[in-house]
Amino acid sequence: MPPAAGLLARWRQRLFRGAPADRDLVVLRHSRIYILPTRRGIAVMITLLLMLLTSLNYALSLGLAVTFLLAGLTAAALLHTFRNLAGMEVKPLAAGDTFVGGKVAFSLALMPGAATRLAVTLSARKSRVMADVPAGAARTVALEIPAPTRGRVALGRVTLSSTYPLGLWKAWAYVHFPLVGLAFPAPEASPPPLPFGPGGADAVARGRGEDADLAGLRDYQRGDPPQRVAWKAVARGAGWYTKAFEGAGGGPVVLDWRTLPEHMDVEARLSRLSAWVLGAERAARPFALSMPGLALPAAQGREHRRAALSALALFPAELP
Amino acid sequence: MIAAWRNRPEWLHNEGAVLPLKALQIRWLGALLLAAQVPLAVHLPIWVALFGAMLVALRFALLRRDRLRPHAKPARIPSWALALFAVVLGIAIRQSYGGYLLGRDPCVALLYVLAGLKFLEARTLRDGTLLVCVTMALVITPFFYDQSMLAAIAALPVILLMGGTLDGLARPGADDFEFEAWGTAVKRTLVMIAQGLPLALLAFFLFPRLTGPLWGLPRDAAASTGLSDRMSPGSISELSQSDAVAFRVDFDGAIPERRERYWRGPVLSRFDGRTWTPLPPRTDGVLAPADGPVVSYTVALEPNGHGWLFALDLPAQLPQLTQADGASDEETRSLAQLTREQQLLARVPVTQPLRYVQKSVLRGSYPPASQREVDLNRALPPGNPRSVDFARELRAAHPDERDYVLAVLRHFRAEPFVYTLAPPRYTGEPVDEFLFGAKRGFCEHYASAFVVLMRAAGIPARVVTGYQGGDVNPRGGYMIVRQSDAHAWAEALIGGMWQRVDPTAAVSPLRIERGLGAALPAGDPIPLLARLDGGWLKSFQLAWDAVNHQWRRNVVNFDFERQRELWRALSFDRYAPWQIVAGFLGLAALWALAVLAWLALKRRRQERALVLWDEVCRRLARAGLARAPHEGPLAFAARAAARWPQFAIAFHAIGQSFATLRYGDTGERPRERAAMLSTLERAIEVLPGAGALRDAAG
Repeated sequence: MPPAAGLLARWRQRLFRGAPADRDLVVLRHSRIYILPTRRGIAVMITLLLMLLTSLNYALSLGLAVTFLLAGLTAAALLHTFRNLAGMEVKPLAAGDTFVGGKVAFSLALMPGAATRLAVTLSARKSRVMADVPAGAARTVALEIPAPTRGRVALGRVTLSSTYPLGLWKAWAYVHFPLVGLAFPAPEASPPPLPFGPGGADAVARGRGEDADLAGLRDYQRGDPPQRVAWKAVARGAGWYTKAFEGAGGGPVVLDWRTLPEHMDVEARLSRLSAWVLGAERAARPFALSMPGLALPAAQGREHRRAALSALALFPAELP
Repeated sequence: MIAAWRNRPEWLHNEGAVLPLKALQIRWLGALLLAAQVPLAVHLPIWVALFGAMLVALRFALLRRDRLRPHAKPARIPSWALALFAVVLGIAIRQSYGGYLLGRDPCVALLYVLAGLKFLEARTLRDGTLLVCVTMALVITPFFYDQSMLAAIAALPVILLMGGTLDGLARPGADDFEFEAWGTAVKRTLVMIAQGLPLALLAFFLFPRLTGPLWGLPRDAAASTGLSDRMSPGSISELSQSDAVAFRVDFDGAIPERRERYWRGPVLSRFDGRTWTPLPPRTDGVLAPADGPVVSYTVALEPNGHGWLFALDLPAQLPQLTQADGASDEETRSLAQLTREQQLLARVPVTQPLRYVQKSVLRGSYPPASQREVDLNRALPPGNPRSVDFARELRAAHPDERDYVLAVLRHFRAEPFVYTLAPPRYTGEPVDEFLFGAKRGFCEHYASAFVVLMRAAGIPARVVTGYQGGDVNPRGGYMIVRQSDAHAWAEALIGGMWQRVDPTAAVSPLRIERGLGAALPAGDPIPLLARLDGGWLKSFQLAWDAVNHQWRRNVVNFDFERQRELWRALSFDRYAPWQIVAGFLGLAALWALAVLAWLALKRRRQERALVLWDEVCRRLARAGLARAPHEGPLAFAARAAARWPQFAIAFHAIGQSFATLRYGDTGERPRERAAMLSTLERAIEVLPGAGALRDAAG
């Protein structure tokens, strides 16, 4: 790369933050904050110009005084708008995950310092959220980015902006964190029942009997049947748990890529497996996942489920 | 770069422009508009004024209806109806302003009404923006008519409401934002205006003024009251009803006697039997030699819509713009010319307040310019036969011109002529009817009759109009000449010189010696301020006028000339324009830094509680009691109090006051905040240092 191009790229990065180069905490300093008039600001300035010309033409000293007073107000608003962003700190917190068609939630912390920041808008892609941040109290905001395809979903560049207090100026700053969420393959709408486990028992057909023993509690996951929720724990305020029963779910299942019908393409297979992972989870049965280039031993729980779904999400679109 | 620019939706994104206005936003806009309408309304025809205010009131009524019936379809007036309405209004305004719409005044009236209409139909935020802009433009319109201090004060409410309105508009569709109370919003606007004030002042003094208008001022200011260039019976007595100020005068030395104070205006030579009109102006007049008592003074002239500059008889120099040293001869000559009839004529109509320095020599006679001028002033139209016969007879008895003039004046004095503002209407032969009928008249009747009698006897004569007298304001030491001082007198060619003759003085010497109020019979309607016994009201008015005079001198008349004067005084004229612009920008940058520093300082004060609390936490950590990250101020203070029971009260006070400052809602109550802060400070003072604490815990 010739040096000039490198310089240009550096400048472009500095101006527009196209690359996710902000590692951790970002302090919004003046070098990062842009400020320009809004449409309303432009309209007001044009009006001020007309007032100026009229006052000059008719030699209205008071007209000039009022015009300049309002111009002073506009100029002060510029500084206030700038100060509303300047000195604020932004920190990346976490990236969530979702199924295709849902939204990945990215959370950022806004630390306002000693000043109250009003009407600060964060936007990334099509998502925007507006927040008031009272002085001294860090505030977490979540940006929800839609996930149209499976795989990694990057937050991308976030624009923090504000037109407070008068809406005549818009100050904004870019931050670009390397936050990446995951979009799991959408589960097939009506999948066939879970395949048999190695023991040959069809757990889905058996259901839960009255004689089942409570094995313990595990974290609640969306989709768990209501009758399995540990409502007592919820009522106590201890959090959401789901009761896991010994023997209720039956033995472990093996979710195997190779056992799927030949005619299914990659995405259809991933959808089926995704649905089965959820199904096994719902049935409280341990599952093993076996795919080309990957084999997860049979296990159960939140981590295992996430590992399985992540593997599905990141599976290459073309078979090697 | 281009690509990067293309995906830049940010700063001009416009979502929200079509969002509907919320009720509170509409209320702010309405208040803003009303505040702009009120000062203007007094200058508009009454129906326009009422109508505009009514439109605003109607919208408020609709809002109220919507609030009372939240589920009904919101009341709405269709746009086409409003457009039609606007056209009708435009036509009506055109009619009421004498058939033209493109002048300044009808445009102001139209803007006033259209703003009301727009408010009535405003629906979206974009409408809101437009309304704010229209309102801003409305704010300066009253200054076309009135730039008094009162007018300036009347403009303040709009400016104070501007911030809150813009703030309200700037929060589109965010229902979770409660607008602050009106007072808070106004206070914040006030702070921002105060912050912008230095910049505004700088701009006011530095922004270059124009020497003349950029575009024409068509027919606008001509409608103002004042002398006219036509005189018919009744035209000046009508003017006498007006207290309006014609001009103010600062004399450099002693003020001449009232009977010497003839302020010369239009000279009328043409007569059609009823109405006097001027000859076309010939601007090659010769200044009177300064061989008599010379008076020098400064005139602050109100706009009169004509080119007339008034001066005491007779002008000894051309008027100079206020600073005598600065204006070159070129500029002075371009300001005004002298007509052959010794009237000062500005080159452009006086549509703005104007100040000029003038010198006059107090004398009543000067030579005619040409024989033709003399002949023109001898012409008499047919008519008024009795007057003509009377003049011929009298002239036969008094062959000497001077004797004849005295005889005519004697006639006025001897016969029962009455000086009155309420003469009968003279219709057929006005001069005959006046001289031989009712014998009641105002100055224009006497001047007119006198000139007719002169011309009928072959003596060239003409009517001079202007002002006579003027009141000295004891508070300000300057003189006010009002429209009620308007006067008409005569000039006759006697002994080869134009001589001033005032027939009114023959009938009513008091008018000349003491003014209108003294001269008129008790029953006559005369304006309050021309009366002699105005009492405290007149004295109050004079005091008020004195303040206004200063205001005019220093604020309103801060025009091109005054600015040049100031720049000269500050030696600005040594700098090139770009240097002045650079200086201005530099000062503006300094201003920005100063305001930012101010904001930072304010923030530092808010931060104080946090700083103090951090200090306490650090001290306790050194003493062996570290605050857990999750621990709130109250819990930590309680733990500290348990560890050091002897300081329990101090710890509780610290915890309480810090928690209140930090998490309480004292934000809007500064006094309470200050009290809390001082509690916190004093409680911290009580605590010993970290070492002592460690030992105390022992």
